[in-house]
Amino acid sequence: MYNLMIKDLIIQKKQLYLFIPFIVFYAFFGQHMSPSFIFLMASLYIPLNSYIYEEQVDANVLLNSLPYTRKEIVVAKYMGAIIYMVMAVAVTSVILYVARFPFTWQDIALAVGMFFIFSAVAFPLFYILKPGYIGAVMIIGLIVLASMGPIVFRFLSQYLPAISNFITQTPQPILYGLGAIISIILYVISWLTSHTVYQRKVF
Amino acid sequence: MKNIVAFKNVTKSFNGFAIKNMNLTIKKGEITGFIGANGAGKSTTIKLIMNLLQPDTGEVTVFGQQYAHHEKAIKERIGFVYDNNIFYKDLHIKDIRRIVAPAYQSWDNELFNQYIKLFELPTNKAVQTFSKGMQMKVSLAMALSHKAEFILMDEPTAGLDPVFRRELLDILQEIVSDGERSIFFSTHITSDLERIADRVAFIQKGELLFTDTKANIMQNYALVKGSTSLLNDEVNTCFISIRQQGNHFEALTGHTEKVAQLLGHQVQLEKVSLEDIIFYAKGGKALYV
Repeated sequence: MYNLMIKDLIIQKKQLYLFIPFIVFYAFFGQHMSPSFIFLMASLYIPLNSYIYEEQVDANVLLNSLPYTRKEIVVAKYMGAIIYMVMAVAVTSVILYVARFPFTWQDIALAVGMFFIFSAVAFPLFYILKPGYIGAVMIIGLIVLASMGPIVFRFLSQYLPAISNFITQTPQPILYGLGAIISIILYVISWLTSHTVYQRKVF
Repeated sequence: MKNIVAFKNVTKSFNGFAIKNMNLTIKKGEITGFIGANGAGKSTTIKLIMNLLQPDTGEVTVFGQQYAHHEKAIKERIGFVYDNNIFYKDLHIKDIRRIVAPAYQSWDNELFNQYIKLFELPTNKAVQTFSKGMQMKVSLAMALSHKAEFILMDEPTAGLDPVFRRELLDILQEIVSDGERSIFFSTHITSDLERIADRVAFIQKGELLFTDTKANIMQNYALVKGSTSLLNDEVNTCFISIRQQGNHFEALTGHTEKVAQLLGHQVQLEKVSLEDIIFYAKGGKALYV
């Protein structure tokens, strides 16, 4: 399984050369951006790139012909994503620190939470959809989100006082802890979904 | 002789196509050629052997083991060569090796370098720039470098130039010469089989028509020509397929001896090539010899 994680680095050797310049660019030209966003982008860089690249080359036949089980292939992606996220956060922290880009632990915590939620939604799509369809689904998803978003917000705004009350009244550590638990639960559900889908997949 | 692969009543259905009740065996130490027209189910069968597909009903065992419990152990011993490039297309051979090699416990780097040299493969070019023959050689080098006991090849000779095709057939023959390794390869080129196959499996419309040694096939199969007045229920059971024109028929039989006993000199018996068998068997029925 360790080999499968290393494989994700080997296949994106070229993209990896761009990783540090990518963060440096944000560190110097993204002063108006939230540091959480930069951390989130950096954490998703390696895991998402590996999914997109493997989807393009249809790596399933090769990986499943090698002595690996389907379970291992999925676990390696989910475990690898966490490891690469931690590494990316570390590298980004150093770069932002050197570039004197102000950030706090809360920014990192928020980015990690968002990383788990985004990954939990995006990763299963790569197992559920046939290669080549993911782009179309993402565009449709965006359109749906853009058209449904205002309706959802209008609906939520009725409860806005209650929500903001809850947020202000709950102590911060509990709020962050709650966020962490929810994101991790979502990530585990996502992994179980991907696992189940991949077991039945036809290549 | 030990079975490397055994299918027991395997069925797999897709939209508009099905593998029906297949009982295929691949023997140890032999080259088995798998022949059939395009779309007959060759690639599906190979995917079933590799567990890329699971049967709807029936059972597939490889090295006497089932994938459900021994997936890694089985795949450790199989080398695969598919009819298209399955390696990450913009990577170089040395990067692909860095991905494939650690997957196998028995990987031999020195052996791999020897094959790369032997096959004259460039190590600093992306595999997508390789010709079909070169891509096939990459797969074969990988399969041989982890000392696979069973090499599975989907249409390895299609798209190869005649010189390398012959070289490849010689290499395959060399691989099985110690009697320990086995090869199963699909093709629709009968001359490949005539050259190197010990055994031939013939698939048609998802049904395995026969599996037999080449020698037996040559002995048992014949083209029967005669007058339609000779045809009756008993005679017809000997035939795989019959074509009638006016009051003459041409039929393919897998029971030459029985036909000779039944009809003697009233019919003409002609030797058939594998190509004839495939041509005449079209629309025929499964025959277990």
